[in-house]
Order: sequence, then C-alpha cells, then structure tokens
Amino acid sequence: MTTATATPLVRTESRARLNEIWRIVRLHTVNPSIFFGIPWLILGGAWAVTMVLALIVASASGAPADDILTGFRYSWAVLSPQWYLVAVGVQAIAFTFSFALGFGATRRDYWLGTSVMFVLVAVEMAAAIATLVQIEKITNGWWIGAGMFDALWYGQTTWLNDFYTSFALQMFVLFVGAGATAIYMRWRMKGMLSLTAALIVVVLGGLALLTATNSWIGLWTWLASIGITGVFTLVLGLAVVSAVGGYLVIRRATPR
Amino acid sequence: MTTVVRAQGLTKRYGSFTAVDAVDFTLEEGRIYGLLGRNGAGKTTIMQLLTGQLFPNGGELEVFGRTPAEHADVLRRLCFIAESQRYPEDFTPAHVFKSAPWFFENWDAAFAERLVADFRLPTKRRIKKLSRGQLSAVGVIVGLASRAPLTFFDEPYLGLDAVARHIFYDRLLEDYAEHPRTIVLSTHLIDEVANLLEHVILIDQGRILLDRDAEEVRGSATTIAGARAAVDAFTADRPVIGREGIGGLASVTIDGRLDQAERIRAAELGLELAPVSLQQLIVHLTGTDLAGTAEQEKAA
Amino acid sequence: MDESRPIFIQITEQVENDIIEGTLAEGAQIPSINEFATFHRINPATALRGVNRLVDDGTVEKRRGIGMFVTIGARERLIERRRADFADTYIRPLIVEAEKLGLDVDQLAALIRAERIES
Repeated sequence: MTTATATPLVRTESRARLNEIWRIVRLHTVNPSIFFGIPWLILGGAWAVTMVLALIVASASGAPADDILTGFRYSWAVLSPQWYLVAVGVQAIAFTFSFALGFGATRRDYWLGTSVMFVLVAVEMAAAIATLVQIEKITNGWWIGAGMFDALWYGQTTWLNDFYTSFALQMFVLFVGAGATAIYMRWRMKGMLSLTAALIVVVLGGLALLTATNSWIGLWTWLASIGITGVFTLVLGLAVVSAVGGYLVIRRATPR
Repeated sequence: MTTVVRAQGLTKRYGSFTAVDAVDFTLEEGRIYGLLGRNGAGKTTIMQLLTGQLFPNGGELEVFGRTPAEHADVLRRLCFIAESQRYPEDFTPAHVFKSAPWFFENWDAAFAERLVADFRLPTKRRIKKLSRGQLSAVGVIVGLASRAPLTFFDEPYLGLDAVARHIFYDRLLEDYAEHPRTIVLSTHLIDEVANLLEHVILIDQGRILLDRDAEEVRGSATTIAGARAAVDAFTADRPVIGREGIGGLASVTIDGRLDQAERIRAAELGLELAPVSLQQLIVHLTGTDLAGTAEQEKAA
Repeated sequence: MDESRPIFIQITEQVENDIIEGTLAEGAQIPSINEFATFHRINPATALRGVNRLVDDGTVEKRRGIGMFVTIGARERLIERRRADFADTYIRPLIVEAEKLGLDVDQLAALIRAERIES
C-alpha cells in the first residue's frame, strides 16, 4: 500500500513568486486601519490640538501669527504617529507572522511582502507630510498661525527634502520594530536581552571611544557637514540594516 | 496509493526536552488520520514540523516529496490553523475569510459562508473578543473551506458545544466524500471522532505507540473480568496491557482478539468479556489514572 | 454504532438484517457509500469496506454508474447462513448460562416453550 515514491512536484515557484509576495502585502491591508487609519487618526488628533492651542494663544496674546509660528517650530506633534508605528512594526511581525505561516506562506515571502508594505506606507506617509508642510506654509499656518507640519527640520528647504527625511524616518521606525520582533520570534526573551545588552555595550563603547579620543567636536562638525539630509541617509542606512538583518533572523524563526 | 508525508527518525528537541523522539511514519493520500495522544504528547509539534513552522533537529521529513520548510510549492498545499493560532491585531473572522482565498487556491467562499451560518459565528466581532468555541469555529471553517490537499485540525473542537461538534463531523464527512483529501485530526478526546478515522497514530511522550488502521484497532483488545485465579489462568500467556483488581476479583485487558472457541472457554470459566473501545485502549496504552475509571464502568 | 466491534462488520450486518427483515427487498438499491458514511458519521473507507463484504459474498451487486442493488436470492442465502451460525451465537451461551443456574436441557426447553406461548 505504501509506495516508495512520493507525488512528483510541478515546480511553479518562480511563476508564482510575485503573487506570493503580493498576497502578504494584501494581508497587511485587509484591516486598513492598522497602517492607514490609526496613524492619520493620531496625526489628525495632534493637528486638532495644535489648532486649538493656536486659537487660544492668538486670542490671549494677540501676538502676530509669525511669532506664534516660531513657537510651534519646536512642537513634536508632527512626529506623533511614529510611536504608534513602532508598535505597528512590532505587531506586524508578532501577530501576522504566525498567521501567514499558518496560511502556508514562507518566511522569505513573508518578510519580502512585509518590506514592500513598509516601503508603501513610508512613501505614503512621507508624501503626505511633505505636502502638508507646503500647504501649511502657503496658508500661513492654516489661516490662524498654527504650526504643526512646518516644524523641527521640516519646511526648511524643498518638498523633496521633506519627503526624503520623512521616508527615511518612517522606514527606520517600521523596520527597527519589525527587526527587534524578528529577534524575539527567533530567540524569544534570551534574544531580546542579548540585543538590549549588545546595544548598551555599543552605545556606551561609542560614547567612551568618542570621549577618550576627544572626537566629540569632530563628530558634530561631521554631522553638520553632511546636513539634515545626510543624517537621514544614515537613518535610512540603519533601516536597511534592520531590514536585511531581520530577513536573516526570521528565516529560521518559529511562530508561537 | 500515494504517500504525501514520510518521516524517518524525525526529532525535535527544546533544550534537554525531546518533544518528538525519532518517529517514523507515513501518511497516504486521501485518508483521514487521527493523531491521538495526551496533552503535551507531541501532537502539535509534529504538525508544526510537517507544516514547516518548526525546524527538526534530526531525521528526514518529506511532505509532497520535499522538506516543507520554506518551500512554497509544498506549503501552498497545506492548511494548518493551530489550536493556539494567533491572528493579526484587530482581525475579525471576516478578515480571515477575506484573505484565505489568496493563500488557498481551492478556497470555497460559498461553503465558508454556509459554515459561518451553521456555527452562527459573528464575523464582525474582533477575534480576541470571541469565545473559545467561536475561535475554534474560525479554525474549523478555514480548515474545511480551504480544501487543502493536506489539512490539519489541531484540537478542532475545543469549546464547541455538542451541536457545533456534530455540525463539524457532518460537514467534514460530506465534504471529504465529495473532495477526498488527506486530513489529520489531532485530539486528546477520542470518543467522538473515533468513527471518522481511517487510520490512527498514537503519540506518547514524543514517540509513536500505535500506527494502525482504525478498524484493526477497534476490538483489538479485550477486557476479561472475574475471579482472580480464573482470570490469571486465562490470561497467563497473553500480552497484558492493563490490570485492575478488588479483593478476589480481577479485570485484565489483553492486546488481541479472542476467537469463538476462546470465548466459549471464557464463558465456561465464568469470566466476563468486555470489548475495549478505541478510547479505552488508548487510555490503557498511555497509562493514565482514567484507566481505573474506565475499568470500573465496564466492570459495573 | 457499537464501539467495541469493527464498524465495517456492523455495516455489513445492518444491511443483511434489513434484507432478512424485508426492509430492503431483493433487487432494491442500497444507500451509497457516502450516504452510509454521513448517516452513521463514519469514515467512507469504513463504509466501503462493509459494503464490499456484501459484494464479495454476492449479497449485493454493483451496477456501474447506477449504484448497488440486492441480488435475487440474497435473502434465502442469508437466512441459511444465519441458521448455521445460530447454535454457536445463541444456543451455546444459553446452555452455559442455564447450567450455571442449574437448569437442565428439559427445563430449558420448557422455559422456551412457555416464553413462546406468552408472546
């Protein structure tokens, strides 16, 4: 009854490759609120608060709109969805990974599909924020001198620059969350503790090295020379390292 | 018949604990298997190995002719919703059923809808707010409607009430009859599914205790009860798998059938013969305290 | 279904009983394998095995593409076989039990007759 030969396989992997990656992207968007809904809800909330603050300040002080805008320059409201998106990066892996594997996806396709999803989200967020910066400038703070998007390093140069820095930051936030979770999926608590220990050693070691070699000024000079754009290229580089590292880690990870 | 799974010396260790200990077995196409055993026996680990979710520490494993892990052409023929399956954050059953056809090429949406109605599953409620039974129903619906060539049901009826369980058995049999495929039912509750199974693989402490056709197993053991001396004499040179006794009375379970002549002899010795069901046999083989209860019920 | 005995044997016996009792007439169609399986909640392979035993001993015949039918003369043959088994399955255990209670053959016969009249 038992035959020695198993079913011959029709090898269709290459043909179906793109489809199998794309279905992971679709899986991430089945519930669109996670990537597209809630970040905008947070951003919208922050915007509403900023508007109310601007109205209060304007009516109380009667200061010219330009001065108030300067005050808003130091507002971090524009970055408010980032904390949530770290959690999204973590949850994307923690929950969807085990589900996708249960549905017969490979780890490789899962990570590639998730990466495509992250890139799409980063492009969407970056384009939107860069555009909102411009709108805010044109309307002179939404007509009431409120500043939210034209803050921190945003709004200093071009739309493209704002897009690039936002994109880099978004990629970093998503992939760091996902990469750390991949380490957890593979090595559980032991992996997280080792990662934390390793990070502490690297940071302290770096600080010690900079202090010992009196390189602090050199570092600041270098950072100033590469500019905001250069710094965010470093951030994007870290995102890519997290993405590749996460890929290598998750290839042998096991769902809970 | 075609072999869909072949495992040889398959081993999975977690540190010093061996969850699956060098097991050999094959699964043939188009049959319903029972992967039976107590909780923690290694059933889920075996299914996770077969579906490429875990990496074995040793042995060989072929599913549809290849190692399953990371092979998309193997994995797309499998369906495995674990008993402790995690779902993406804030997913509802509707989300699960919406994404299922991207992963299962045989997905039957109309069938899934009918099952949703049968189980009265609220599809718009978040999965983490579902009851244990409703969560089981989600897994059962995916397992049935996916019609994957190799489908695993891991403790499929936890929390399901009697009505829902019978809906599951009925739909499983109806659909299996129309769309034959290989099905593995893992459970520690054997009574209700015993009749659905064509083949039984019994796992205990990571090892295979029994790997036989269900019909061969049924009635393959007999319990002989009566006066201790008579029982001992009758069972002297037989493989004994269970023994109970109160005072001068004994009840001994042997592996093997009795022929007509033996039955008559037993009757003449004043011995009571009681058949042993699949569930009771497994209780004997995996040696639990339940063995005592099962025996007393039979003797009473 | 009786948990203790092979189910396929029970399927066979059930169809045989239906034929002997006349529920299934000679020439009548018997249920399909899938009907047996879903009705009794058993594996279709088990149902097939039970029905195949009926085919093997000529109680039932397969007509390709239509179904399975009780053969002509099946009832007669089944009754004959059951009679041959009657002594083994019913009489001997009866005698053993009767002896345990100190009833001899004559007393047993009397009991049977009395039972017959009552019913």
